[in-house]
Amino acid sequence: MATVTNTPVSDLLKSFKLKTKQQELLIRVSILCLVYILAFIIRLFSVLRYESMIHEFDPYFNYRTTLYLTQNGFYDFWNWFDYESWYPLGRIIGGTLYPGLMVTAVLIYRILHFLRFAVHIREVCVLTAPFFASNTTLVAYFFGKEIWDTGAGLVAAILIAICPGYISRSVAGSYDNEGVAIFALLFTFYLFVKAVNTGSLAWSLASAFGYFYMVSAWGGYVFIINLIPLYVLVLLITGRYSMRLYIAYNCMYVLGMLLAMQIRFVGFQHVQSGEHMAAMGVFFLMQVFYFLDWVKHMLSDTKLFQAFLRITVTCAVAVGTIALGLGMLSGYISPWTGRFYSLLDPTYAKDHIPIIASVSEHQPTAWSSFMFDYHILLFLFPAGLYFCFKRLSDATIFIVMYGLTSMYFAGVMVRLILVATPAVCLISAIAVSATVKNLTVLLRSKNKGVLTGSTKGSSSSKASSKALLDQSQPFQKNGAIALLFGAFYLLSKYATHCTWVTSEAYSSPSIVLAARGAHGNRVIFDDYREAYFWLRQNTPADAKVMSWWDYGYQITAMGNRTVIVDNNTWNNTHIATVGRAMSSYEDEAIEIMRSLDVDYVLVVFGGVTGYSSDDINKFLWMVRIGGGVFPVIKEPDYLVNGEYRVDKGAAPKMLNCLMYKLCYYRFGEMLTEYGKPPGYDRARGVEIGNKDIKLEHLEEAFTTSNWIVRIYKVKPPNNRW
Amino acid sequence: MSQKIRTAPKQDAQSVGTVAVVDASAQVSMDPFFHILKLIPYSFLRPPRLRLKLPSFSLPSAMTVFSLILLTYFMVVSGFIYDVIVEPPGIGSTQDPATGAVRPVVFLPGRVNGQYIIEGLSSGFMFVLGGIGIVLLDLALDKNRARSIKVSYSMAGISSIFIAYVMTTLFIRIKIPGYLR
Repeated sequence: MATVTNTPVSDLLKSFKLKTKQQELLIRVSILCLVYILAFIIRLFSVLRYESMIHEFDPYFNYRTTLYLTQNGFYDFWNWFDYESWYPLGRIIGGTLYPGLMVTAVLIYRILHFLRFAVHIREVCVLTAPFFASNTTLVAYFFGKEIWDTGAGLVAAILIAICPGYISRSVAGSYDNEGVAIFALLFTFYLFVKAVNTGSLAWSLASAFGYFYMVSAWGGYVFIINLIPLYVLVLLITGRYSMRLYIAYNCMYVLGMLLAMQIRFVGFQHVQSGEHMAAMGVFFLMQVFYFLDWVKHMLSDTKLFQAFLRITVTCAVAVGTIALGLGMLSGYISPWTGRFYSLLDPTYAKDHIPIIASVSEHQPTAWSSFMFDYHILLFLFPAGLYFCFKRLSDATIFIVMYGLTSMYFAGVMVRLILVATPAVCLISAIAVSATVKNLTVLLRSKNKGVLTGSTKGSSSSKASSKALLDQSQPFQKNGAIALLFGAFYLLSKYATHCTWVTSEAYSSPSIVLAARGAHGNRVIFDDYREAYFWLRQNTPADAKVMSWWDYGYQITAMGNRTVIVDNNTWNNTHIATVGRAMSSYEDEAIEIMRSLDVDYVLVVFGGVTGYSSDDINKFLWMVRIGGGVFPVIKEPDYLVNGEYRVDKGAAPKMLNCLMYKLCYYRFGEMLTEYGKPPGYDRARGVEIGNKDIKLEHLEEAFTTSNWIVRIYKVKPPNNRW
Repeated sequence: MSQKIRTAPKQDAQSVGTVAVVDASAQVSMDPFFHILKLIPYSFLRPPRLRLKLPSFSLPSAMTVFSLILLTYFMVVSGFIYDVIVEPPGIGSTQDPATGAVRPVVFLPGRVNGQYIIEGLSSGFMFVLGGIGIVLLDLALDKNRARSIKVSYSMAGISSIFIAYVMTTLFIRIKIPGYLR
């Protein structure tokens, strides 16, 4: 026996040595802290490159309402009628928005002010989405722990922290409902699965409150109220009915429904709308199951019970169908709205509702969008499904259903890749965790003698199997190490991809455009804000601005002027009126504009800079939407042989309509590119057809420095002689 | 005598039929429809002896469901819905400016959310191949198999994952020229 010298230093170090359990806890907590910070800072690209501002279009409305809430308090906000948009109709804002996002931001703002951090509400709004993304990673960890084990939870947290599918709608500055809603969605699902696993009343009530938060945050709550009943139905069909499921679903449905009715925008839809009827049907089915279970418990005669079972199920189904039929026929239960119906039948929107079909986010998804947003998760997803099917339990059935339904919807509409992201990350985490576990078990397997080899009895003779096993052990270990390195390599490629995609594609504010100049230097186009600020400073306070509905929210928020139509698109006829005005000749258009009291017209034009999301490219949608309500506008009038052109060969109606004149006024004298004639449109790549444009009823008020936004003033009618 | 024997089986068949209809409950005589039916038409019609069984509904196994799901996943991820709605051509074409010959273009250039049918299907196949590779690796680590099968599964799995990853990266590099730059 050797003697060990006990120095005081080694004693001190020994006292710091942790037990294995404590080491594991330390590693887990530190990983989660790092992932939390990572999820926050990866979303800060645009704040560092440009400034802390709100991006895109919809967030400006949310910002304006949040500002109103901070200044006027909750009751004024809840009862707010806005006369500054949709002139002359106005908009009941209190009853037509989801207040969750605004209330959350104001709560954070008040907490920070209470702690004496005097931040501006805009900073809070800009950073709300990254903060909630970090919280989502924590929820993903707990969810993964619930479904599989802690390893899967950690991997799920890491994957969802940097997944581009989620980053695209939760980057700093994207102050939109989805930033908060995905957190609420995952949180509600986690609480519900926990309730089903434990059967505890407390978790069920918590899931009901989680559902309430989701309803207050986003219109996509319809996904929850349809997925959970579908999940309950699948459990019932596969014979997994249990008391835990009964408690969880009943509490969540009843309390969640009552809470959801507190939001004015949702109102009584939970009992009146066709989209919510599945939940009610499954609720009644659960009561039938419970009743049958009780009767079975009371009866001792199984044959009698079988007969009773058959009669009851038939009666229940019949009564349910009759009730549903009566409800739908009498009109009490409204059919599925167009937005959600187009998810089930994707061809519906293209033929019937051009407004829904025109939004670029609503297009179906191509393979490259999937690859862009998911990268290697697309390989891990089917593998994760395989592992879930190998070890079926209530929780894995849920995540499989969530994954499949959300992947289908993600295939129908690009925007819904966001909803599928948590499921894909969780299932991929299961695949990673199970594979790595298999490999490390292989690494750790000691040479436990040849007993284990021979008892399996896989080879012909025991002797040869012994020899083979001895030879294969180091080979297997090397193979496992190589595969682990391979897995590490793939995950690092995933991280590189995510960072590149975030930096290049998803961090653009959309309101500020950037391009590479001739010498590779970065050129910034800040035309939008220039135009809105001009509007704010140089027009009378009660001026009304007509533009296409894309820019409505920004004009109201930054320009502080009344608009005719905005992004809410709740009134199709009003939008069609504006579309008709834009696509008519100037004389007809001025009649419409005078009837709407329009003072200024705003158009967006990308011919000088090559900006391709301008009004000329959106013009056909204006024609389609206008023509949908006013048959006098016909799309073939603007096309030549089915082709949309703006050069000399364009249709005469196109060359003289109001939109063309307003975009190309004075453009015929402009030299845009070296070696091309004057009036060369860089976005379409052609020289325009009608260069000599004269405006009779409008005059040019302002054009921004890069000609992106152009504002025209409507001249008052001529005096009589 | 033979008459009696012949009618006896008929009675038996009828009584067996009626018992089957009434379903093991004791209330044979309470049902008015039963009495009406006994009179007309089954007093002079003889129901045939059939050996029908209600089709029994059994849930498919987990792995059957998994293979169906894999097929659906392949369709969704190849952009099948995009193909149905937007109806792009199977493969694009461009004209060579110098010779005037028409060359096929496999990958739709210019934007991320657009595809031709064939590029969608081939990319979807690569994704599913990668997934199957990981599944094969897991199957290879299952202890209850012959060693040669385990080795071949693991080789197939590793090569599947490798090919799928390399091809997918190649596809995305062709499609988006500025990828990772």
